[in-house]
This record gives sequence, C-alpha cells and structure tokens, in this order.
Amino acid sequence: MKRHLTVEDLARDGRFVRVNMEDRMNDPRNVGGPGAYGRDAAEQAGEGGRAGRVGLGRMVPDAPNAPDAARSLMHGIFVGEIQALEGAGRTCYDFDLGDGADQVPYALKLDMARQCWDEARHCEISVKLTEWMGTEIGEFTESPFLFQAACNPDALLRLAGVNRALEGLAIDVFNTMRDFGDKAGDPVLEFCEDWMLADEVTHVKMGSDWMRKLTVNDPERRARALEFQSVVDKLFSLGGGRSDDEDSPIRLARRFRQMAGFTDSEIDEIAEVSRQARNEAEDRVAARRAAMAAAAGSSPPAS
Amino acid sequence: MPDPKKPRPPFSPWDRRELPGSFTVEETARRVGNYKWVEMRLFEALGGWVATVPELDVKMRLGTHCYKHAWHSELWHKRLPELREMNPDRLTLPPNDAMVEFMEALTAPEGEDKTLEKLVGVYRVLIPHKIAAYTYHLNNTSTITDAPTIRSLNFALGDEFEDWRDGEMLIQSMIENDEDVRRAADRQAELESIMVRAGGITGPGSIGTEEVPNTVEANA
Repeated sequence: MKRHLTVEDLARDGRFVRVNMEDRMNDPRNVGGPGAYGRDAAEQAGEGGRAGRVGLGRMVPDAPNAPDAARSLMHGIFVGEIQALEGAGRTCYDFDLGDGADQVPYALKLDMARQCWDEARHCEISVKLTEWMGTEIGEFTESPFLFQAACNPDALLRLAGVNRALEGLAIDVFNTMRDFGDKAGDPVLEFCEDWMLADEVTHVKMGSDWMRKLTVNDPERRARALEFQSVVDKLFSLGGGRSDDEDSPIRLARRFRQMAGFTDSEIDEIAEVSRQARNEAEDRVAARRAAMAAAAGSSPPAS
Repeated sequence: MPDPKKPRPPFSPWDRRELPGSFTVEETARRVGNYKWVEMRLFEALGGWVATVPELDVKMRLGTHCYKHAWHSELWHKRLPELREMNPDRLTLPPNDAMVEFMEALTAPEGEDKTLEKLVGVYRVLIPHKIAAYTYHLNNTSTITDAPTIRSLNFALGDEFEDWRDGEMLIQSMIENDEDVRRAADRQAELESIMVRAGGITGPGSIGTEEVPNTVEANA
C-alpha cells in the first residue's frame, strides 16, 4: 500500500456526490442568496434580516427553512467525520517512527489511532442523526476539504490544519448545533452533539500538545505550522459566519477552545480572521444580489 | 462473627494458581516484543486502509479496530520494561523474515475493489493466528509470576475474538457468488502459506510444539 494519498484516492460508494470547495462556497444557499438556508423571513425577502445583515444570520429554529439548514449542516458534519476518520488513519500509516521531520513519535500514532476510533463513532452518530432528521446519505454534496488538509506531507502541518483548525471549527459547529437542538426542542440532537463536542475538545488538545512537543526546539517549524493553521482557519471561517457575535451562524466556543489548549490571543486572532472573511463575504453577496437584480431588470434590494 | 486472628491459608481453596510456567523472563520478553511489532503493523495498516475502502460499514469498523490494536501494542510496549527490557524498541521486532514478508503481503492490496482481500488477510489469517499465539501463551505461562502478561493477554484476546467476529461477518456479507468464494479462498491460501513459513506470529513454537516422545526411548 502506497503512502501519502491524494483527495482523488478517497474511496466512496455510489451515493456520495463530490464537489470542490469553490463550488460549495459559491452555492447561494450557503452564502446567503435568496432562499439561503436558515435565514429569517425578512432576510430572505432581501430586506436585510436580523441586525441589518444580509445572508449571515444565525440559524434559528423558527426560520421557514431551518429544517433544511439543519439537515444540510448535519450532512456536512457527517462527511466531515468520514474524512477526519480517514485522515487520522492515514497519519497512522504514512510515517515511519522517529524524530525526523518526515517521521512521527510512537505516541503520536497512538493518539491518531484513538482519534480513528472516535471519528468512527462520530460517523455512526452522525449517520443516525441524519436519518433522525430525515436525510439520506448523498442528499447533499461532499467537499473533501478536511482530507485535503490531512494530505500534507508534514505530520505537524496535518495536526495544525486538521486537529487545530478544522477540529477547532468542529468545536464551534457542535456547540452551535447543540444549542440549536436545545432551542428546537430536539433532545436527541442536543445529546449527540454534546458527546461529540467532548471528543472534539480532546482532539484539538492532542493537536495543541503535539504542536508544542514537536516544535519545542524548532521555532521555524512551529511558525510554518501556525501559518498553515491560519490559512486553513481563514479558508474555513465559513464566509465570516463564525464569530463572537450573538447572531453569528457559528459562534466561537471560547471556553471549549481554551480547554483544548488555545490561548486567548489565538482565539482573538481567529475572530479577527473571521471578521475579515465576513466583510469579504458580504461584498460577494451584495455583488451577487446586484447581478441577479440586474438580470431580472429591477433595482437591487437594499443591503 | 469470624475470628480475625484465626489462621487462613495464603491461597484460598478455590484458588488453584500454580508457580510453574513454560516461559523464562527472556522468552516472555521476546514474545511480547513480537506481539508489539505485529500489533503496530496491523493498526497502521487498518488506519491506512480506511480511506481506500468505499464500503461505509467496513470503513467505520476498520477505524474502530485500528484503535484496539494500537492499544494492544501500547500494552506490550509498557510490559517490555517490566521484563528487564529497558529499551522497548530493541525487542519490537518480527520473529523472522517470513513474518516481514507476511505483513508486506497482507498490506499490499490497495485499490477500492480489494476490500475482500484486505478483510480476508486480517480476519481469516492474521487474527486467528494472533488468537492462537495469545491463547498458547495464556495457557502456558506461570499464573502467579506472569500475572501482568496474563491480564494483558486477556484484554487483547477479548478484543481479538470480538473483532474476528466483526470481520468474519463482513466477509460473509461480501461473498455473493462462486467467484467471490474463490477470491477469498485464494487470498487466504496465499497468506496462510507465508504464515506457515513464519511459524506463527512469534515464529516456530508460536503455539508450542507437538513432539510425541519416541515410544521405544520412552520405555527404555
């Protein structure tokens, strides 16, 4: 068996539909165009919605299409868990044991094997939750972004990109979904998200601990890893949908991130990156709406 | 109320553990080193295969089993220093070249159409041989002096039996016609032949030897 797979090597059955990240990000249902998932009625009518924001409101149970928003997000979590399982598994296999830059310590492999088990359970939980929410496997698309981060030839960068950035995002998403389950009166969703949240904190902490251990005498490698993490954080800040703001689609789970080894300044940095992404996303949404309105022969709605 | 001063035997009447065992400290360390090597190669392979199998149920089972074998390797890793091997890596070895060849052959299938070959290698060849070697060790070591190894063997065996059942049921569910039967049988035969040359996961004597004393000499 060869080492170091690419995204193209990922094996899936016939139900899964793969799209690239660009297509996913430009899906008007995700970036807040008319009919965007989970927005309130005013927002969908192009009237700005809550707090005057366009397309970036928090997912609320009483929104007309909240069930579709929640199902879409849950399916996204499910395919993310599959990729997290695959990524952790590959890190068990792709590297020799040792202290070199292209090697990993035995204890790191043990941690990745543990993560394999956790992610396998998360797949089981997620697939049952998707069924519970009335969704079929493949009803929504899959973007292999998490596995892509897990293909990095440097194991430390995998940990930075997957465990610190993307599993960190999972902390924020699970915390948000847990709250959504609570508000929507869905105890099954709330229960499951809470359990998965506990595991994700453990995985992020693994990333934080290994980042510290592997770079204790190598500040340059640490800087490279942090830079990669920052790039991934920016790329997956969900168009600015993740922030400290109360009405943010995904709220930064500061307390859980602290438990997972993030410093306050690191969390502030993620919030700032997200703010920048939000501004860019709002510009994109405004441009998209203007173009749609122009095409329809009417003036663009106020934003 | 029982008299607390009344002498009691050090071993209760139901406790039939005995001192004699078949293995020295050195031989135990050698076997444990082989166990750790095999468990490591296995958990690495299972983790690596997860991304290459399209079947969702198999993918999730491999991920779960990957951790169990990693944990077994850790049990043996921690046992080695207790057996006077302060550098566990020194004894983390295959028993012979044939065992290396076996693991290379086991992990060779890669494509997404090779799930049956992957599963047969693990669940119809390697894990049965692990169960055999662990059981032989369990049944022949000193139940008093080697209690820590026995405890780990029991933990590992519990997992092995459970995983073997999982894997065997997955295999049975994937065999749908004569061609599949042949594929599974050919794969099993290919790997079993190498394992026979290796003599088992700890080399010749993995499950003891069946030497019957020569009758004439025995009667002399």
